[in-house]
Amino acid sequence: MTALFLANLKMMARNRQATFWALFFPLLLVVVFGLFEFNNVGTGRMWIVDHAGSPASQQIIAKVAAINLLHVQEGGTGEARARQHLAQGDLDYLLIIPAQNSSPTSAQAEPPAPVTLLYGSGNADRNQLVDGTVRHIVYEAASGFQAAQMPTATGDGLVKSQEIPVAQVSYFDMVLMGLVGLGIMTNSIISIAVRISTYRNLSILKRLLVTPLPIWKYLVGEVGAHLVVALVQAAIIIGVGVLVFGARIHGNLAWIFVIVALGSLVFLNIGFIVSAWSRTPAAASGMGNAIALPMMFFAGTFFSTAALPWVLPYVAQALPLTPMLVALRDVANGGEPLWNTWPQLAILGGWVLGTGAVATKVFRFN
Amino acid sequence: MEKAVQVEHLVKRFGSVNAVDGISFDVNQGEIFGILGPNGAGKTTTLEIIEGLQKPTQGKISVLGMDLARDSSKVKAKIGVQIQSAAYFDYLSLEEILKLLGTFYPKAVPARGLLEQVGLSDQAKMRLNQLSGGQKQRFTVAASLVNAPELVILDEPSTGLDPQARRSLWSLIRQIHQQNITIVLTTHYMEEAQALCQRLAIMDRGRLVALDTPANLIGRLGAAYTVKVVLNQPLSDEQVASFDGKVELVQVPSPGEALDGTTYLLRLKDHPAALVGVLEQIGKNGSGLEHLDITPVTLEDVFLELTGNELTEQP
Repeated sequence: MTALFLANLKMMARNRQATFWALFFPLLLVVVFGLFEFNNVGTGRMWIVDHAGSPASQQIIAKVAAINLLHVQEGGTGEARARQHLAQGDLDYLLIIPAQNSSPTSAQAEPPAPVTLLYGSGNADRNQLVDGTVRHIVYEAASGFQAAQMPTATGDGLVKSQEIPVAQVSYFDMVLMGLVGLGIMTNSIISIAVRISTYRNLSILKRLLVTPLPIWKYLVGEVGAHLVVALVQAAIIIGVGVLVFGARIHGNLAWIFVIVALGSLVFLNIGFIVSAWSRTPAAASGMGNAIALPMMFFAGTFFSTAALPWVLPYVAQALPLTPMLVALRDVANGGEPLWNTWPQLAILGGWVLGTGAVATKVFRFN
Repeated sequence: MEKAVQVEHLVKRFGSVNAVDGISFDVNQGEIFGILGPNGAGKTTTLEIIEGLQKPTQGKISVLGMDLARDSSKVKAKIGVQIQSAAYFDYLSLEEILKLLGTFYPKAVPARGLLEQVGLSDQAKMRLNQLSGGQKQRFTVAASLVNAPELVILDEPSTGLDPQARRSLWSLIRQIHQQNITIVLTTHYMEEAQALCQRLAIMDRGRLVALDTPANLIGRLGAAYTVKVVLNQPLSDEQVASFDGKVELVQVPSPGEALDGTTYLLRLKDHPAALVGVLEQIGKNGSGLEHLDITPVTLEDVFLELTGNELTEQP
């Protein structure tokens, strides 16, 4: 079995052309996505917590809400919750208007408590724009109601801004994990389906069957070698994404490879099933693509599947690529430990067992 | 002595077709046993059942004293198999393929020695697709020997080879036989069966029509020569009748050659002198002799006699 496993690896390494394309097709997508400027200014999510509830604060809110760069939501007085969202990266900006501003006409000489603007460290360009615009709006509002008390023309002292360090997850970081899943899926399904179907057509499987080698050992030898290729492929995709295009991995790499291996097992099993159903290698390739490509879209490789109509979001949840991508993103983008993704791992495990059972049942040598 | 293979009442049914229709035979240890028959006779199916690739519909088979149904993997460990037109892994050298195959067996013969035995030492580092047809076939024979088998099964080993490569393969098979390995082979070349096999089973449409030594099979016909005459006009019925006793008219124009209706296949029953009488008869009628072919009786004639069909299709 070990000899077969090593021989398989040797054959794959020597079949340079096929191996090259299998490994580099997903890499090509990494390059394409890496070249897009996804991190241009974009729209940020802002919550405004208004402790004042005054005409001045209402004016500030209205003007801030009109800023094109922002999607503004009033957060009531739930300041603590808002701060938490900000720290987790679910929110980009938090504007807190203090209670003192409710007495704009008071004659006290004491300067008002400043408006606080908090933002995550994710998008420096946008942060700068938002910071400047908010200062200007607050200054205008303050000068309208409280002109005498304006310390400076720029609004310094009226606005206190602070950058909160948050884990930066860009769209590319998310897509990179999608590409890892996509690469593993297509390569695992198609390469094993084409290979087994070729072996069957050339009677190589028959030749193996006349030896005392048990079928399961043969299957383990094949799956093992393809697993190694899947891990190498994931390493190359992640490596290029991180080193060349500056993607960030927040989680533990080892956990990522565990998820890759588990997902790859599911897709290798599917590849075995495809090979049993197809009469020729060409049919195996076509059938493999027909399974992999729709799954690529439905599982949210490139975009959220929340926008899918009708029952399709539920269909998406049922596909094996979906839990694989969710687990990959939770670990790689969310920095979560592997065990936090246990529901996804359990679903993947179920898929491994289910597809494995079908594969052994339908597998045929000739 | 224990039989190498015992087949009893073997039936293999595919749907409503009996590919193998109740055959029984034994293969003695140490012999070269041939199964001769046209394509579709059931030869390959019979072998694949003995090899454990297919399950029989009915019948009992024992190989090297072991019940095939019960000890399939033990049987597989002790037999060597060459499958008809089976390819091997790409991207591995000959030596690597033999080593890999060897790991599937409890014991294995060194790959280098095998390659030397089949005359492919210089090609050890080559890939299979770099070899000629004859070399490939010798390699597949080498591959069937990796486990030092007691019985080797070769399915149409010489199909598609040129005469020289075929002869080189025959000497390889004889050489293996000299190592006291039992050999079962199928072929549809009667020349090959005659040259190699000590005993022959003749199959046609799933049935075993004869089983004997090549010499005995030929001897059954009680004739020494086959004469093929091509005339410029057909013989009259009286002329044909006059042959009676001296020669046997085995074939009035064969289906493939029926166009002019003037080809006759005669078998000389007793003495070559009978031919003189035949030629005189032909001369009397004024029929011109266009072609005369005299050959010793072969297995081809035996097959024709047994089945009414020719073994190999006419070109």
